Amino acid sequence: MKYQSQKVAYWFFATCMLLLSLQLIMAFAHSGFDVLHPWIPFNVARASHNNLLVMWLLAGFMGAAYFIIPDECERPLYWPRLAYVQLIALVVVGVTAIIGFHFGWWEGRKFLEIPRPLDYLVVVDVLLFVANIGMTIWKAPKMTTTSIVLFFGLLMAALLYLPGMIPTDHQTHDAFWRWWVVHLWVEGVWELIMGAILAYLLIRLTGVDREIVEKWLYVIVGFTFLSGILGTGHHYYFIGTPSYWLWIGGIFSALEPLAFLGMAIYGVALAKKGGRNHPNRMALFWTVGCCIMSFVGAGLLGFAHTLPQVNLFTHGTLVTAMHGHMAFWGAYAMLVLAIMTYALPLLTGRKLFDTPSASYAFWSTNIGMVCMTVAFGVAGVAQVYLERRAGMEFLDVQRELKVHFIGLILAASLFTSGIIAFIYNFIRYGLPVGEVEESVSAGAAAAAPAE
Amino acid sequence: MLSKSAARAFFLSGTLLFGAVFIWLTVDTFQRIPAQTNAGDLNESVVRGKHIWEENNCMGCHTLLGEGAYYAPELTRVYDRRGPAFIAAMLKDPEAVYPGQRRMVKYDFNEEQISDMIAFFEWIGRMDLNGFPPEPTIGMAAAAIAIPGGERPQVFTQICTACHSLGGVGGTIGPALDGVGDRFDRGYLMRWITDPQAVKPGTQMPKLELTEEQRNEVVIFLSKQREAGL
Repeated sequence: MKYQSQKVAYWFFATCMLLLSLQLIMAFAHSGFDVLHPWIPFNVARASHNNLLVMWLLAGFMGAAYFIIPDECERPLYWPRLAYVQLIALVVVGVTAIIGFHFGWWEGRKFLEIPRPLDYLVVVDVLLFVANIGMTIWKAPKMTTTSIVLFFGLLMAALLYLPGMIPTDHQTHDAFWRWWVVHLWVEGVWELIMGAILAYLLIRLTGVDREIVEKWLYVIVGFTFLSGILGTGHHYYFIGTPSYWLWIGGIFSALEPLAFLGMAIYGVALAKKGGRNHPNRMALFWTVGCCIMSFVGAGLLGFAHTLPQVNLFTHGTLVTAMHGHMAFWGAYAMLVLAIMTYALPLLTGRKLFDTPSASYAFWSTNIGMVCMTVAFGVAGVAQVYLERRAGMEFLDVQRELKVHFIGLILAASLFTSGIIAFIYNFIRYGLPVGEVEESVSAGAAAAAPAE
Repeated sequence: MLSKSAARAFFLSGTLLFGAVFIWLTVDTFQRIPAQTNAGDLNESVVRGKHIWEENNCMGCHTLLGEGAYYAPELTRVYDRRGPAFIAAMLKDPEAVYPGQRRMVKYDFNEEQISDMIAFFEWIGRMDLNGFPPEPTIGMAAAAIAIPGGERPQVFTQICTACHSLGGVGGTIGPALDGVGDRFDRGYLMRWITDPQAVKPGTQMPKLELTEEQRNEVVIFLSKQREAGL
């Protein structure tokens, strides 16, 4: 850690751990068996599960930015205290929203369930955060590509939250704008954030020349927007929008895996090329793992049902849940866990790099997630054939699928044991130390210049 | 080899170009949506229905236009598939319609709210959705097998098949109805459909609010379901 003000990142990461635990509890509260129905109906569990995900990822991105930006820009945060205020505000809004869901205070729009008054608070909170990061970069002696891309990604993420608040009485308009937020986030600007954080991690962990890493960062985010913007069309196939979206969405979303493929190749190649043996091997595992799992989950599995001819049958089935779980895990959850694994030893001064529990966390979460994806996939494909092709009744099909949900729960238990190991490790690191650690920061900074 | 400034130019130009195209297509789409979705029929009742849909987070379990959660049935074509009587019964008391099945929250909707929901589903059901949801092609082969009793009445295909099957098509919650005409006479079937609890207390079969005409149609159709009649 170079600057005192980076310490705030620790508290954002601790928030992540808390929200992630709650997210898993909500997942188990409703995984296809509805004994909890009278207290937590499925729609409550589901809204909580999704929104906790979004919130802990946002907290993770914010923590990452508060850690990375001072390091990249070589100056402390512009408003260090504002960062704490903004964290507390985020937690208050998030907790209020989740409690509200249990009392029917919500909007009932997938992924954007947070009620309107809280939406405004979210926007204000994120803008404060962006302002803090922006001022830090603006006043910095040095502006790096990585920090600019990260800033641009965060700013666009804040602005793209706004279309979701356009009031409408028309279901098609509603769905149209909702995807401006959700799609342009996860298959657009969040990938900028992801690319920038990965670039930072790869520069630090592998010691490869910054110029090379950042050049490929531009190429990858270039492909992201080239395919991802018009790729939004894959949400506009069947919602009452013109049929030209079938081919526009089909073609451009078929190109979307390219950006993820680029990231996978880039991560693996740089990890191999980097001559430097960074002591924090687990951080490199998570970083390269993120590159690969995002390609499989978001790239390949997304492509598997994005073409309109396929999507006609898989749209609105468990096939979507299969893709969704692995995509969010690979692209964003692993990314946040990677930056946390990298930052924790620097923030706390404790070098618990390659412990058995850290390895266990990495392998069991990933194997668990692959198994969950298989369970969802088999259930989804069976659902497509029985319901969409053979015309069986929905509830009859769901009864046939029960066995796959047992498999899903077993896989999810393995995954959860890995997350528990990760949290155990997080707690073992203890609180951030007061003083700036010269030796570690000198080591990290040495990675920046050319080999 | 590609330089960093060329890579940056690629990123910026691609983003601006495709961003502009996307905004242009958005404008065009909004001009075409009204015709494709019969926006003229979007009356106050439909709008109220949409708000009820949102206030209760219905898409937290169901899908509509294929969007939502995968816990409960797709509702895009529910108006045609199940009809208003079934939807009303379901919204009044889901467990009475599907006893012992995966549960739906029992909302205390009043008559007006229920009719708003039905209006909303009817409007959604008439949208041109570029072919979604697809017709099940494999199942239709089974349905083509000759069934005695002539054409199935609409009330039968909309309501009865939610739980019962005939000729292999329909739900499996209640018993299959093949050959039901051999087992029961018309008088019994009529008493049964009018008030199942009176005939067999404790049965899971719900009392459905059908009109006299609908009951007659169903009873005549069912009484023709004889194995020998084929």
